[in-house]
Amino acid sequence: MPDALSDLPEAAQRRFSQGSFSSGLSVSDFAACLDMGLEPVGLVQGFCAMHWGAFSMSALGRGATPFSGTQGGYVQNYQCPHGMISSDHRSWGQNYQQGWVEDAWRTGFNSAYSRMMEEAQTLGAHGVVGVIDSENPLSDTGVVEFHLRGTAVKLMDAPAPSATPWSTFLAGQRLAKVFEAGYAPVSIITSVASVRVWSYCVTEFLIEGTGGMWSNTTGAAEIHQIVDAQNQVRDLARTRVRSSLHGDALLGAHLEVSAREFSKGDLEFQSRLSGNRVRRFKDFEPLAVPRPSVRLS
Amino acid sequence: MSTPASTPRPSLRDEVRRALSEPLTTVDAAQSMTSDLSIDEELNLHSIGWEPVELVSAVSLHSIPYGYWNWGQGEIEGASSAHATAFLNATTRLLHEAGAAGGHGVVGVHIDRAVHSTFVEVSLVGTAVRPVDRTKRLERSVFASDLSARDFTMLMIAGWEPMGLATGASFVFAPRRTMSSTLQQQSQNVELTNFTEAMYSAREAAMQRMQEMAIDMRGTGVVDVKVHEGPMSFASHAVGFVAIGTVVRLASPTHQMINPTMVVSLNDATVAFDAQTLS
Amino acid sequence: MTNSANDLPQATGHRLEELEKGLFTSDLSVNEFLLIKEVGFHPVGFVMGSSIYHTGLQARKWNQSQELTKLTEAMYNARELAMTRMEEEAAQLGADGVVGVRLDVNYYEWGKDAAEFIAVGTAVKAEDGVSRLNQLGKPFTSDLSGQDFWTLRQTGYLPQGLVMGTCVYHIAHRGLGQTLGTTGQNVELPNFTQALYEARELAMTRMQDEATRLGATGIVGVRLEEKSHQWGSHTIEFLALGTAVTKTSDDVTLVKPTTIISLDN
Repeated sequence: MPDALSDLPEAAQRRFSQGSFSSGLSVSDFAACLDMGLEPVGLVQGFCAMHWGAFSMSALGRGATPFSGTQGGYVQNYQCPHGMISSDHRSWGQNYQQGWVEDAWRTGFNSAYSRMMEEAQTLGAHGVVGVIDSENPLSDTGVVEFHLRGTAVKLMDAPAPSATPWSTFLAGQRLAKVFEAGYAPVSIITSVASVRVWSYCVTEFLIEGTGGMWSNTTGAAEIHQIVDAQNQVRDLARTRVRSSLHGDALLGAHLEVSAREFSKGDLEFQSRLSGNRVRRFKDFEPLAVPRPSVRLS
Repeated sequence: MSTPASTPRPSLRDEVRRALSEPLTTVDAAQSMTSDLSIDEELNLHSIGWEPVELVSAVSLHSIPYGYWNWGQGEIEGASSAHATAFLNATTRLLHEAGAAGGHGVVGVHIDRAVHSTFVEVSLVGTAVRPVDRTKRLERSVFASDLSARDFTMLMIAGWEPMGLATGASFVFAPRRTMSSTLQQQSQNVELTNFTEAMYSAREAAMQRMQEMAIDMRGTGVVDVKVHEGPMSFASHAVGFVAIGTVVRLASPTHQMINPTMVVSLNDATVAFDAQTLS
Repeated sequence: MTNSANDLPQATGHRLEELEKGLFTSDLSVNEFLLIKEVGFHPVGFVMGSSIYHTGLQARKWNQSQELTKLTEAMYNARELAMTRMEEEAAQLGADGVVGVRLDVNYYEWGKDAAEFIAVGTAVKAEDGVSRLNQLGKPFTSDLSGQDFWTLRQTGYLPQGLVMGTCVYHIAHRGLGQTLGTTGQNVELPNFTQALYEARELAMTRMQDEATRLGATGIVGVRLEEKSHQWGSHTIEFLALGTAVTKTSDDVTLVKPTTIISLDN
């Protein structure tokens, strides 16, 4: 039922009121849906364009006191062990979590997601399957477009949905197996963590390979600052996802990490963890041991 | 691939209806499970009484001092040891995380390695797994393996168990180009024995280091060994050899035969979908 | 450079010793490992052989399409050397044969004049202790995968050796240019066709000769590869590879395969 205060564009409302049917599912996924008793009712999508990037350390410049990061976020300071030196010796460094980047990302993603779910609700759907999420940077000025789409489905011969539809990245036979294994889909989850690295002298020298000059050892060592940042950025995304699961399980998780170098010694790591939040609806019943076969072509 | 259970199972539609209609059972918030395994892989694990616990990951970067890639002869020890240390640190961290989550091992480890001129980077992501029956204690140290959950299942069914990941790396200088000038004068049918010796020793060193790790882990074999070799992108006169495999040993007294069935698939191309059958 | 007893470089010494003491290494996947165990074989060790060989081409323009026999010999000898060293490693381990053999050619910093030829595989040994060495008394070699090895054994055959035939052929420059004058018409290029025909036949015949020398009754998994390596497009190597097999006297229970229709996509 279209909501007068709905934030869906007019074009979407027209598309739905015409009663036509479009689906992003492949042929076999479509057949599998029907097998499960799920009737596809339409393609649904949500968009959101976000802009950020106004907040950055460069505004503070080097030599300023170490940034304290976002409240309660990850911060780690690195102090130069060499004592004095010249003005272009990086006597301190810092890793910190960029909470504003994560917040902006979360806002953009959640807006796109809720718009997609709203379209699904308009169609009276119980759930959305085969969700595809993509982010496209629109230009170099820090504008990113979030786009989520999926196929809204109705459970056949069931009362109209009373709650927010459930969602999942899965579709087709894989989704059928998830049900058979005893799980019910709850929602897709995607979470992002962002850590900025301001290298201090030791990191800089190790990366450039001139560590030998400045250290007491042979110069070969683990590059602690980067290792800390890389491990933290993954941990942060995983911790956030785990805390939003409330005891449910995350299936088919995918962890991706990307790195960017703004200038020498100024790095940013971003991790993105996505997966399907599911909940058990029946007790664990293991299947029999699979029967191996050799296929003759 | 799985055989149906002996009691009649509810139909798929009934299961889906039940899943989506019942008020969902309350769960223990401390028990959240995260896994990057596909549902097929999870079902494989369940069939041998194991389950995924948590997605785990670890990264290590180790530096290579300046000047190591310049012209030289023989092995580039700084690079070989940086690779070994980075791999070891990343694996140790990964196993620690897995153990803390209650895992007995990590399967499906995706290994991302990069050798740059000044450092080696190793990044590992996998899913920690454990027996469903929590009374089964961990008798030995946590293992990591790049075998898929499915391969892990098959190995266990056959009575073997993984001990860990073994790796061996060696980086050497390729024999020098100056040799080639003498080649012009020579007739064509000739082996370049000095060159052969240099490459041989590098390959052997990498394999041997991997074997030594396997012996340290008290394994009896290494399966699914992958050998990566080639010149460095930043220094084409330097060549690296890296061998990685999963160390195994027999858990049961003898190997268990799996007795596969020979099948001939009658599938042709997929059946075309007829839109008119939709009402 | 060599060990006294055989042609292997000294570096291989330690590694093979460890394998002889009981550790096994294999580049077989888990599936392949389980399937070779099914047919009563056990992996012994990952074996390799390599040789860096001069493969330079003297730049001359030939008026006729012809085989470059010196190059053919070089390509053949280089691979043979690599294979022989791999077989020696297998023999040292007391293996009956090598499965999953891969032949690769690598080019490195020393340029186009020379290449490294590598042969790698997993050495295996029959668990019943009965020797499965080939008719020449050497470990058999085969490029069969674990699955194909299992399937072959179901039929009672055993590999004898990886057989190859090679022919480096030069396609005449002038000939090609003249025939191109007829472009636009649907016409066969007889010289070109003839050249390629002859080259492929030579490669296949040589491969068959090798199989005959091994006393084989047939060759399975034959494939023909064509590469220009570093010589430019007018010079091509035709390489025919296959696994020579013979029927053994082992008892065989031929199983009827189950037919299935897969419901997965």
